Amino acid sequence: MNSEMLILFFIIALVLVGIAIIFSSLAAPRSTNPIKFDPYECGIPTEGPAWIQFNVGYYLFAIIYLIFDVETVFLFPWAVVMKSIGIRAFVEILIFFFILVLGLLYAWKKKALKWA
Amino acid sequence: MNVVMFYLLSAIILIFSLLSITTRKILRAAVYLLFVLVATSGFYFLLNYEFMAAVQLTLYAGGIVVLIIFSILLTSHISHKFKHPALLNLLMGAGVAVIGAGVALYIIFNEKFTANGQPELPVDMTAIGTQLLSTEKNGYVLPFELISVLLLAAIIAAIVIAKKGKQEEKES
Amino acid sequence: MDFGQFILMRHELLLILAAVIVLIAELAVSESSKARIIPFALGLFALVTIAGFIPGETGTLFGGSYQSNELTTMMKNVLNMGVLIIFLQSESWLKKPENVDKASEYFVLTLATLVGMNYMISAGDFLIFYVGLETATIPIAGLAAFDKLKSRSAEAGIKLILSSALSSGILLFGLSMIYGATGSIYFADVLKNVSATPLIIMGFIFFVAGMGFKISLVPFHFWTADVYEGAPIGVTSYLSVVSKGAAVFIFTIVLFTVFRPIMEQWQHLIYTLAVMTMTLANLFALRQDNLKRFLAFSSIAQAGFILLGILGANGMGMASVVYFVLVYVFTNLGAFGVVAAVSAASGVETISGYNGLYKTNPKLSLLMTLSLFSLAGIPPVAGFFGKFFLFTSAAGSGYFILVLIAVLNATISLYYYLRVVKAMFIDANEDPAPTFRSSNAMRLGLIMCLAGMFIIGFASTIFDYLRNISDVLFN
Repeated sequence: MNSEMLILFFIIALVLVGIAIIFSSLAAPRSTNPIKFDPYECGIPTEGPAWIQFNVGYYLFAIIYLIFDVETVFLFPWAVVMKSIGIRAFVEILIFFFILVLGLLYAWKKKALKWA
Repeated sequence: MNVVMFYLLSAIILIFSLLSITTRKILRAAVYLLFVLVATSGFYFLLNYEFMAAVQLTLYAGGIVVLIIFSILLTSHISHKFKHPALLNLLMGAGVAVIGAGVALYIIFNEKFTANGQPELPVDMTAIGTQLLSTEKNGYVLPFELISVLLLAAIIAAIVIAKKGKQEEKES
Repeated sequence: MDFGQFILMRHELLLILAAVIVLIAELAVSESSKARIIPFALGLFALVTIAGFIPGETGTLFGGSYQSNELTTMMKNVLNMGVLIIFLQSESWLKKPENVDKASEYFVLTLATLVGMNYMISAGDFLIFYVGLETATIPIAGLAAFDKLKSRSAEAGIKLILSSALSSGILLFGLSMIYGATGSIYFADVLKNVSATPLIIMGFIFFVAGMGFKISLVPFHFWTADVYEGAPIGVTSYLSVVSKGAAVFIFTIVLFTVFRPIMEQWQHLIYTLAVMTMTLANLFALRQDNLKRFLAFSSIAQAGFILLGILGANGMGMASVVYFVLVYVFTNLGAFGVVAAVSAASGVETISGYNGLYKTNPKLSLLMTLSLFSLAGIPPVAGFFGKFFLFTSAAGSGYFILVLIAVLNATISLYYYLRVVKAMFIDANEDPAPTFRSSNAMRLGLIMCLAGMFIIGFASTIFDYLRNISDVLFN
């Protein structure tokens, strides 16, 4: 896709969405009621801020996900040329995998993959 | 037209970078950073470097920002509002930034970048894959394998820091 | 390519193998026998260290990305010895109940960083150099935060990761400028195209700033004292000896080879850094009471002295730098070992807490005194020769004023090193640290430091050997 098309697409999207918003704000009925601005939570009044302290488990999952995300990035170019390069490519990825699988096993052994 | 896109993306990056460092709420800074990272991937698309753009989107916009937001939500001062910096600090910081940027820009604009006679390299997936696995000159198999050691060490270090040991579980 | 050529990378491959074996052992053993991993890993690493000394082939691999010669082999052996001593000294700390189930992680992370450092030293292009640098820094942050229940340790980890991320970013920015100006990341090609254009100078300054953080030279030293104080002692000594030594090695190699064409420019820069580092670090060290902070500033000052050898910019300079780091490994680990032993037995980490230590622990006090003498550069111990060769190298290149400043600084440093000696031998204390007996591994580590300090000082063949192999960079 060339960038003229991209910009045109961008402008059209902007115009279409803009029209919808403007039109709805003109046509929609209005009611101002303090309860309306409450976030819906099964009818019970909300308590405390929504930004609460997370469990450290989220961080562990996120970082393990990220590390294996990096691994996948390397897999793409490898997969494209694997056939043409042959056995050497296979050995190279095997070494790479072996070391990273140790990391996965370690995470497993330490129960980092378990929700505690 | 590419020039227009370039300036558009640069403007987005500049504005959101500035917002990200001037906002007084740390979670907002992380979200502004997300826009910076997404716009950066636009540069790679402009250069027809689709692989790098995909990496930028999946790793930085998808992975790292999520990680940053999780780590911010781990802290106990999430809704803490930073104070405005003292005027003197602000002026000094701005002065240093302006001088630094001025010097860097002056030097970069005055440099005649010559490619030293090297041809432009292809950036398609096959070329990247071949170079990544090549053991000859301009092949990157050694850094590639070394990265696996780095990632392994990173997993272990992260788990050591974040996971409670048996001893600590008893104490808490 | 021929897989037999991988013998050139034997140091790195052995270290990776050792790390993998320790990790598999960690995965395999049951919870109750975790403590057995410690002696196993120690023995394994001792074998790796010894195997490193077996002479073997040298050459280049991967089209110039990896290069090894006698000099890099020697540097790797120096680092290996340092790590072996640190492992021995950390053994009793690792055996503590709160650390025992993390012991194998300590070994694996340390070995992984050591792999990174080795690749940095053998790097033939900036990519390997950079990946090696990251491998050598990121896991150390995990190590610094090892006592994670102590907030000081966690703080040390955060400070280390933030300052190292910043410095890596600056360094990478500098490298990208140099790449833009010269069109290559290979050391050999960069060398051909480097000249004193503004862009290259700017990239070079960024590079020096990034390395300055790792070596903790003076305008870039802010993280050092806090991290050294907060991190566990085994990690602090690793940071101040092995990590710093590796950074000095690679910095010297890159300055002498890649940036040789702009030598005149970098000599000015290094000159300024040397004066600032020596002087300011000495002034800060004068007023420390915490021994770890004290040793942190002392190690910054020592880095300033090392810059004198780098200024020499010839084979003599290279040899004097490697020799000094070799001496520094044994000397500083001697001092850190005593601090670790005393801290493990009584929890005392301040200079005033060492009052009267001689009465209760004469052997440790004696070793501490010798280490401090060596750090100060007082004759019979090796530190004197280390400083002597650095000064000779700088004087040989005509930096007489700088040598004068360095000698003055060495005299100032004598004062604060002797303060600790005075505390141990002269100052009275009604309640000195109790008499204790360290574990056998700790004693072995301390004896190795003591032996190293004397053997390296008296065996002149060591310096002659270094002098011979150092010329390899200048061909």
